[in-house]
Amino acid sequence: MTALRSLAAAGAALGLAGVVIAALGFSPVDALRALVAGSLGSTAAWTATLLKTGPLLLTGLSVALAFRCGVWNIGAEGQLLAGALAATALATRVAPEAPAALLLPLVALGGAAAAAALGALAGLLRATRGVSEVISTILLNFIAIQAVAWAVQGPLQEASGAYPQSDALPAAARLPALGRVHAGVWVAFAAALAAAWLLFRTPLGFRLRAVGLSPLAARFAGISPERHAVAAFAIAGALAGAAGAFEVAGVTGRLYQGLSPGYGYTAIAVALLARLHPLAVVPSALFFGALEAGAGAMQREAGIPSVATQVVQGVVILFSVGFALPRKAG
Amino acid sequence: MAAGEVHALLGENGAGKTTLMNVLLGLVRPDRGSLALGGRPVDLRAWGPRAARDAGVGMVHQHSTLVPAFRVEENLAFGEPEAGRWYRPRAARARAEALRERFGLDVPLGIPAELLSVGQQQRAEILRALGRGARVLALDEPTAALTPGEARALFPVLRRLAASGCAVIFISHKLEEIREVADRVTVLRRGRSEGTVDPRATDARSLGRMMLGRDPGERPGAAEAPAVPAPGAPPALAVRGLRAPGLREASALRDLSFEVAAGEIVGVAGIDGNGQRELEEVLAGVRRPSAGRLEVDGREVPFGTRALRARGVAHLSGDRARAGLVGGMSIAENLVLKGSYDDRRFFRTARYRAGAAVEYAARRIEAFGIVPPDPRRAVALLSGGNAQKVAVARELEGAPRALVAVNPTRGLDLGSTGFVHEQLLALKAGGSAILLISTELEEVLALAGRVLALVRGRLLPVPAGADRESLGAILLGEPAAETAA
Repeated sequence: MTALRSLAAAGAALGLAGVVIAALGFSPVDALRALVAGSLGSTAAWTATLLKTGPLLLTGLSVALAFRCGVWNIGAEGQLLAGALAATALATRVAPEAPAALLLPLVALGGAAAAAALGALAGLLRATRGVSEVISTILLNFIAIQAVAWAVQGPLQEASGAYPQSDALPAAARLPALGRVHAGVWVAFAAALAAAWLLFRTPLGFRLRAVGLSPLAARFAGISPERHAVAAFAIAGALAGAAGAFEVAGVTGRLYQGLSPGYGYTAIAVALLARLHPLAVVPSALFFGALEAGAGAMQREAGIPSVATQVVQGVVILFSVGFALPRKAG
Repeated sequence: MAAGEVHALLGENGAGKTTLMNVLLGLVRPDRGSLALGGRPVDLRAWGPRAARDAGVGMVHQHSTLVPAFRVEENLAFGEPEAGRWYRPRAARARAEALRERFGLDVPLGIPAELLSVGQQQRAEILRALGRGARVLALDEPTAALTPGEARALFPVLRRLAASGCAVIFISHKLEEIREVADRVTVLRRGRSEGTVDPRATDARSLGRMMLGRDPGERPGAAEAPAVPAPGAPPALAVRGLRAPGLREASALRDLSFEVAAGEIVGVAGIDGNGQRELEEVLAGVRRPSAGRLEVDGREVPFGTRALRARGVAHLSGDRARAGLVGGMSIAENLVLKGSYDDRRFFRTARYRAGAAVEYAARRIEAFGIVPPDPRRAVALLSGGNAQKVAVARELEGAPRALVAVNPTRGLDLGSTGFVHEQLLALKAGGSAILLISTELEEVLALAGRVLALVRGRLLPVPAGADRESLGAILLGEPAAETAA
């Protein structure tokens, strides 16, 4: 039933997107063909889709886990950037000479830990001061964006000083890859399994769900909603931070502004389309990853201007979210 | 009731006062019966909120329904057809002034409603109802939130409205208020009218009897002698010198001390809003007392839910849908949601044994006759009685040392009520201490060996062998006993 709704949402959204494209004077058939070919039609297309899916999967899980505990994490984008920033700092400044066996885990865990701290900050503000986490995570996004801008023009700028970007990460910090699909993507898939396990098969997950469904009943059962909000945010931050670390260590090889095309925001749609179920985040992230990858092809092959592809993506997001959410009771 | 009359409605919580008002307002559709306004029967099929309003039925709710940030005159114009399609500040102001003038109600204009005192807000609401042409005005416990002075000021207003031909319905728990302002009083009990009398010609005792019921009824539990604890043994549960801040002034706990022995049921009777919720929260470990201590078997228990649970204090919540159970979780998950996350049967260091919980739940479901017998069913989908069985099955597991049960049968049908009562008596017979906090006087009297009255945050003694009438008189006798929503 739930899965059907989500499928219907995605399908209807694509249909409406076709109408929009037709209204703009392009052939929806050509556009769809380009979209499918560019996301699923070849090895290169699949690679592009998977590379987009990886960060969407991790940030989507980040948002879904936080929601499950009743807190809105709008800050996955900032947490992703914090992860990328920390990973770059560790790999290019702190331990550039370290061997891969040491540097890779350091980069991944360091990125996750930095973002977990950023997430936990939003949780702490909410738990101790009642600051709405929606507001604080949005604001922390801006701080993270500006921190990256400052770092790539300051302490982390490349040695040549030519561009506002970091040095290339040393080879030892680069994720191993199958073709171009780096290990981080596969870790992301594993993370979906791990998140489902955490939520449904561990005491912590049990308590997080209880708090998310009824903070009052949880409190009477001896579960502190405040503490668990902080915990949920730390876990959410770690997931999004890992996505950031994997982007610099697996895809871009450097830190620069605009590293993320808004993965952390699309993640909200990914999580909602998946109805907050960690395993359903996998197909949901694949769907949005394919859209992201196919949008480029649509632009190249069908000649549809980039603005139109953005409109299409927007329609899909609105539609899928509107459909996927349960009707408001009362 | 007649035009020009102030008619009071008196009754316990759940007696049907609010339901009756909701019918009058068109919010609840009656199953049968008739309603007549101004001598003309009302077509109940077409009766609804809009029809009620057009027919001149107005209501002043217990809590302000003004828009806090809107000015008073804006509130008065808000949603009024005669105010027109567009909001015209000057016209609204003029209309508000005219209304104020016409009914002689002193309400400041030009400032946001949230800056008004509670009494002023109430007058603004009365004005709004009158501005809509109300000929029948119902006030739901209008004095509950007022200071005594404000309440005094309200009564002449009501008399004046009645004198101008309006029919005023006045809902209250407070006998002396009813005496002061009402021409007649109708007493409701368990959804039935117990009669209409002149409050000034009837004494408090007979009104109390009408309100609480005539027949003494059976007292299945109290007749039995309490299981005798070992001589010299400390009480299973003791509260000493307890003070705690309240949700409202009247409900703060003021220096409570009592003991509950093993094998005893102690009842705490009272009208909602006199500190029951605060006492429940302290005993559940979620409201921090400002003074005093809790003891289990003579040893102090530190503050906190888990500490209390660890010492065997169970809690049957008075708000089962929101605080007792997690509606979105399954029966199995609710049965293991207990604060004892070191319960190795279900919780290992890094593993929640969902399968073990489902198996366990299947056994409990069978033992307690929970319907439907599906451990994975979400509790929100169960009936009230079955949901309460889930809560009882969880809290009574392993014979807790003490149980705090709050309104354990509220909203349950007769069968489920009987089941819960049996469970409590069996638990007592097994040697647990039970504190029964309930607004149902009959329940308290039927089950408890000893009864205390909680009135305005203080415990008053109730003589042994007290019946409904004398207990009711104690609860009502206190002049300012207030009622919560």
